[in-house]
Amino acid sequence: MAHSSHSSSLVCTRWVELGLALFTLLIGAVVMSGSVEQGIGWGDAGPEPGYFPFYIGLLLATASLANGVLTLIRWKPLSTSFVSRGAFRQVLSVFIPIALFVCAMPFSGIYVASAVFIAWFMWRDKVRAKPYGKPMIVAVSVGAVLASYLIFDLWFKVPLDAGPMGDWIAMAGRSLR
Amino acid sequence: MSEFDSLLQGMNLILTPGHIGLMVVGVLLGILVGVLPGLGAPNGVALLLPITFTMSPVSAIILLSCMYWGALFGGSITSILFNIPGEPSSVATTFDGYPMAREGRAAEALTAAFSSALIGALAGVLLLTFLSTRIAEFAMTFSSPEFFAVYLLAFCTFIGMSKNPPLKTVVAMMIGFAMAAVGMDTVSGNLRLTFDQPALMTGISFEVAVIGLFGIGEILCTVEEGLVFRGEHARITPMVILRTWAKLPRYWFTILRSTVVGCWMGVTPGGPTAASFMSYSIARRFSKNRDNFGKGEIEGVIAPETADHAAGTSALLPMLTLGIPGSATAAVMLGGLMIWGLHPGPTLFAEQHDFVWGLIASMYLGNVVSLLVVLATVPLFASILRIPFSIIAPIIIMVCAIGAYSVHNSMFDVLLMLGFGALGYLFKKLGYPIAPLVLAAVLGDKAEDAFRQSMLFSDGHLGIFWSNPLVGSLTTAALLMLFWPLISAGIKTAFGWRNRHPIKPKTL
Repeated sequence: MAHSSHSSSLVCTRWVELGLALFTLLIGAVVMSGSVEQGIGWGDAGPEPGYFPFYIGLLLATASLANGVLTLIRWKPLSTSFVSRGAFRQVLSVFIPIALFVCAMPFSGIYVASAVFIAWFMWRDKVRAKPYGKPMIVAVSVGAVLASYLIFDLWFKVPLDAGPMGDWIAMAGRSLR
Repeated sequence: MSEFDSLLQGMNLILTPGHIGLMVVGVLLGILVGVLPGLGAPNGVALLLPITFTMSPVSAIILLSCMYWGALFGGSITSILFNIPGEPSSVATTFDGYPMAREGRAAEALTAAFSSALIGALAGVLLLTFLSTRIAEFAMTFSSPEFFAVYLLAFCTFIGMSKNPPLKTVVAMMIGFAMAAVGMDTVSGNLRLTFDQPALMTGISFEVAVIGLFGIGEILCTVEEGLVFRGEHARITPMVILRTWAKLPRYWFTILRSTVVGCWMGVTPGGPTAASFMSYSIARRFSKNRDNFGKGEIEGVIAPETADHAAGTSALLPMLTLGIPGSATAAVMLGGLMIWGLHPGPTLFAEQHDFVWGLIASMYLGNVVSLLVVLATVPLFASILRIPFSIIAPIIIMVCAIGAYSVHNSMFDVLLMLGFGALGYLFKKLGYPIAPLVLAAVLGDKAEDAFRQSMLFSDGHLGIFWSNPLVGSLTTAALLMLFWPLISAGIKTAFGWRNRHPIKPKTL
């Protein structure tokens, strides 16, 4: 019904509800099995390590199951659209770059990945009447990265992984000296 | 030593140029995270935590708490000028604040909001000043069963009083507890729930969860709603400030009532968001100008703002005295306290006298500093919101990623942040609350320790939670809170207040 009346609807709320309930049920099951491995009974020194987490897992699984059942009971009213196709495309257009950014980080280091990420975001902005010029894109992305280096690495002494590129620069700096 | 002496001592400690500078920095950063969509107070405090590791605890808590005050103030700027609540707790401010701004009374609305916020906050701090020592002394007599019962009460109140469906609250909370259990068990030293993955051996940090759930999740929600900033302009002149201040005494009763609501909701884990909504609806019901509510009534700005800040500050009372945070931000700060090697709870007052009173003194000063800073910088922060989303969003995401990485210097945490971001998006859309998850993730280990020790005392009998009047009444109150939705429904039917079928589909 929902699919015919809202042609732009991607998925019904009930499927997402059910999916998330199954996911949390799975987490509950994993927690329970992990606790059983540790022992959930009463050892020489009192409760064994898995004692508390086991009941946490049990509660999690039970509540998830109940959420799933509630979804089935309210199957009809929950046929509303969870997200429209257009809106979801918007979300993915942000989420996928974030995912790529996060996955690239271990290989390229934080600085390079961040600069490319910001530049890509600005370059892709089609909403604006006039796209950003190249100097603007370079200035913002390099500026943001430089600022984070100054603030985190130099000022607050929180070292950030610079990746292979950072290592080369550090090596070049040392050989120059 | 009386509270007054301690307070003076605390003032003495914090009145140094360095600490006041930190206050201003904290407030500015706080307003920034409060104004920016996708960053909020819990998130901002979590992002700053790694930076504070090298500071002394007093400086660190001044920075973090001032960031909290700044974020509370910053949330009202976006609510009034842009009709976009920068913080969940300032949603109620949009109802009348934005209409006022559209009528060209933005400066008046902002001044009223900030000033009443300051009054609410100071009332919260007064409560903290004069009640905390007493509560801490009382709590000194607690042993493990009592502590577990207090935790239970906090968690059950969350479940029973939450606007979200109770079962979803339970699920969120249990995920938090499960997260806390990952890693080394504090009692036996065993590695739990790590499934032989080295990345999980250090456990899952609550900071990473907060950054992902609140930061990335919020950005995804914002993108989906299609973000349009259509802001009103505001210029705050000293004349407007004085004129608005002259009006405020007329609303003394609204302010008083909102303060009481705020303090109550802050001390019990209702939190600032619930407080501001409740205060707004009470004000609307009893106001002489109730027809004007929603169309730009100044009382509709004063009521939620006073309650919001009163709740925000008094949320620190249970955090300091019992080790139970009253809001998500307080939970993150509590986590910070534990990382700095302090033990939140009654012993803090005995062992860390300087820290506690430095913090309380800084709350008086910090809120006044916040008011001055925020009045001076409104135009600046309003212009930040006019920067295009395609520049602000990637920078926010980069800061989140750096924040998640710097917790343990681990790339795995950044990946986790991404996962929590996706989860946060789904949670928000399906009506799962996030605050209980954070609370459970921070308190999980302490609650477990209290439970295990109680079980050791009693040889595994749950009867220990009713073994004396104090712990018994706490446990019973917890169970009452847990089943409150059922009980109140039962009372209503018993008295024949038949309300129509309460279940309605949630579409958001």
